[in-house]
Amino acid sequence: MNPEFQRQLYLEYSPARLLGIPMVLGIMFTLSFFLDDHRLGTATANTAMVLFMLISLLWGARQTIDSILEEYRERTWDTQRLSALGPWEMVWGKLFGSTSMVWYAGALCLMMYCLAKDDSAALSALIFYSVCAALLVQSIGLLMGLLAVQRDQDQTNSNSLFVIVVIALLAVTPWLMGIANITPYSLQYTNQNWYGMQLNSHQFHQISLLLALFWGGIGNYRLMTQELGIRTLPWVWLCFCLFLMIYLGGFIPSGFFSMSLAAFSVFSALTYLGMLVERQDAMRIKRLTSYFIAGNWRRCGEEIPLWWLSYLLCIPAAMILSFSDNPITQFGASFHIYPLAVLLILLRDCSIYLYFAYGKNPQRAMSLTLLTGVLLYGVMPGIFTAIGQNQLAAWFFPLWADSTIGAVSSSALQVIFIVHVTFKRWKSST
Amino acid sequence: MIAVEHLVFEYPGLRALDDVSFQINQGSITALVGPNGAGKTTLLRCMAALEQPVSGRITIDDIDVLEQPRESHRVMGYLSDFFGLYQRLTVRQCLHYVARAQGIADADCEAAISNVCKHLGIADRLNMRPGELSRGLRQRLAIAQAIIHRPKLILLDEPASGLDPEARHELAELFLALQRQGMTLLVSSHILAELEAYSTDMLVLRQGKIVEQVSVKSIQQHKPFKLLLAQPVPNLAELLKQIPEIDTVKIEGNSLALLKIPENNLQQHQILKSLLALNLPVCEFAPAAHNLQDAYLQSIQEGP
Repeated sequence: MNPEFQRQLYLEYSPARLLGIPMVLGIMFTLSFFLDDHRLGTATANTAMVLFMLISLLWGARQTIDSILEEYRERTWDTQRLSALGPWEMVWGKLFGSTSMVWYAGALCLMMYCLAKDDSAALSALIFYSVCAALLVQSIGLLMGLLAVQRDQDQTNSNSLFVIVVIALLAVTPWLMGIANITPYSLQYTNQNWYGMQLNSHQFHQISLLLALFWGGIGNYRLMTQELGIRTLPWVWLCFCLFLMIYLGGFIPSGFFSMSLAAFSVFSALTYLGMLVERQDAMRIKRLTSYFIAGNWRRCGEEIPLWWLSYLLCIPAAMILSFSDNPITQFGASFHIYPLAVLLILLRDCSIYLYFAYGKNPQRAMSLTLLTGVLLYGVMPGIFTAIGQNQLAAWFFPLWADSTIGAVSSSALQVIFIVHVTFKRWKSST
Repeated sequence: MIAVEHLVFEYPGLRALDDVSFQINQGSITALVGPNGAGKTTLLRCMAALEQPVSGRITIDDIDVLEQPRESHRVMGYLSDFFGLYQRLTVRQCLHYVARAQGIADADCEAAISNVCKHLGIADRLNMRPGELSRGLRQRLAIAQAIIHRPKLILLDEPASGLDPEARHELAELFLALQRQGMTLLVSSHILAELEAYSTDMLVLRQGKIVEQVSVKSIQQHKPFKLLLAQPVPNLAELLKQIPEIDTVKIEGNSLALLKIPENNLQQHQILKSLLALNLPVCEFAPAAHNLQDAYLQSIQEGP
C-alpha cells in the first residue's frame, strides 16, 4: 500500500468515526423520512444530495488543504521531502487518503440518494457529476495547499485557503445546480457548439469535467515534483496554455482572427496566473542569470518563471491581432483594444508585482499590486476624465488613448519606468 | 564520502555560503561549528537537497545531490534543528511510515523498527504518542526516523539542544555507536565540550566561509605548553626569545605564556632548565588544557 495513503488512513480512521458518521447521517435521514410522509421521497433525495455536496466539497477541500499545511505547521514537511516517495505517490496518497472518511460519509449519502430517487435514467449521470465535481474541488484544495507551501507562507492558515476554495465553489454552484437538474429529456436534446460541431451538451460537460480533473492532477503532480526537488522543464505549463487556448477557442466563431484573439486572451490571463501562483524569488532570477552566463540551458529552462512563457506566447498573438485585417479596435466611444499596448500593460503589471515581491515584505506584494492597479486603472484615469483631460487619463490607462501610437507610447514609457525601478530593487536585494 | 565544491547560497541581500569547499571521509564524525548566522543550517539543508544553492556541487557517496536529490535521500538521513513528529501517530506508526516512505519493504519494516528502537532505547515506547515522550526520547525518535533506512551519512543540526546532561551523554554514546556501524556523521552544535566527546574532525564556518577543517586528534596532539610565573616579569617576551626552541603563542600579563615547544620529553626538560637559568620564577610548566573550544576560538580569531 502507498505509505502516504496508509498514514492518512491511520490518521482518519477510528472506531468512533466509523460508527458516529452513519449514526449522525441516519438521524438526518430519519427526519427527512418523516418529512416525506414516511417514505423515501424527494425530501430525502434532496437532503442526501445537499449533504453529499457539503461533505464532499467543503469537508473534502478542507481535508486536502490540511493534508499539506498540517505537515508544514508541524514541521514534518521536510521528513516527507526527504523520503523516497515519488510525486505521484505523494499526490494520490494525500488526495485520497486525507478524504477517505469524506468518501465514506459521501458514499452513504449517495446510497441514500439512489434509494430515494426514482429517476434511474439520470442517476448515473448525476452521480458522475457529483463525484467528479467533488474530486475536482478536493484536487484544487490540494493544489492551493501546495502553492501556499511553495510560496513559503508559514503564516497561511488553512482557513484563509479554505475561504478561497469556498468562494470558487460558490462561483461554480449555479453550473452544478444546472447540471444537477438532469432529466432524460435534457440528456438527449441539449447541444453544445464547439468549433462548429454540434456536440451533446452533457457529454461535452462530462468530457470537460474529466479534462479539468486531469489538469488538476497534473498540476498537483507538477507542484509536488518541484517540492521534492526534482528538476523539470516547464512543459506542463506550456501544454496547459495551448490546451486552454484550443479548448476556449472552440466557443467563439471560428477563424484565424478569433483564434488569435482567444490565444491572446488565454495567454494574457495565464501570464497573470503564472505570476501569482509562483513564488517570485529574487534569487531565482539570480540563479537563472548565472546559468545563462554559464551557458547551462537546461538549468535555464528549469528556472524560467512560468509567466515568462505565457508572456512570450502572447507576443505573436498580439502581433497577429495588431496587423490583422479584422481588428476589433473600438468597444465604446473612448475605450479601445490595442493588442501591443495591452501586451505592454501586461508587462507593466507584472513588473509592479515583482517590484513589491522583491521588497522587504514580499507577502504584501499581492495586496499592494491590487491597490496600485485600482489607482492606475480606476482612480487616476477617473479623476482626469472627470475634469475633461482624456489625454492625461490615457497616460495612466493607455487604452483610453485615441490612437495606437498614443496608447503604445504611454504604455512603453510606463514599462520603461517600472522595469527600471524593479531592476534596481532586484539588484539591491541580491 | 562527501565532497562539497564551491558552494554558494544566497538569501536576498545576504550571501549565506560563500564558495564553500570541503571533503569529509567515510566513518568520521565531523563537528560543524560556527557562530550564530554562520551558515551551518543552510549548509546542512543544501547537503540534504532541501535548499537550492546559486552554484556549486555537492557529492555524497558518488551521487550528485543537486542533480539527483531523491537518489541522495536513500543514502542520507537528516535531523533538522526544529524537527517535527507526527503527534497523532504512535511511535510504531511513525517509524513504520518513515520506513515504508524510505523504500523498506512492508515485510521488513518490523525488523527495521525493532532494530532501530533497540539501538535508541525506545523499544518500550512503541505504543506511545510523541507528545507523551520526554524531550530526550522525542529526540531519539527523530533520530530513529532519520536512520531507520540505515543511511551511510547522517546530518544532524543541533541534535543536543534542549537536552539535559545525561541525555547529551547518551546521545554522544549513540553517535559513537553509529560510527562503529560504519555511518558518517556531520553534527552541527554550539556545545563544543560535548562535540569533543565524539568528534573526529572539526569544520569551522564563519560568515559563510570555511575557516578551518582540522582533525580533532591533531588538536589534542599539538597542545601548547603553559608557562606560569609566580610574579610578573616585565621583559618576559625578550627573555623567551633567547631560547630558540620556544615559539611564543601568547603572553598574558607578563606572568602567563602559551608556548609551542618540541614534544620530546628530554627537550622539554632542557627548555625548563633554560627557563630557570634565566631566573624566571616558574611555578607551572605543563601542557595547557587545550580543548575543542580553544581550537575553535583560535580559528575564529585567526580566520579571514
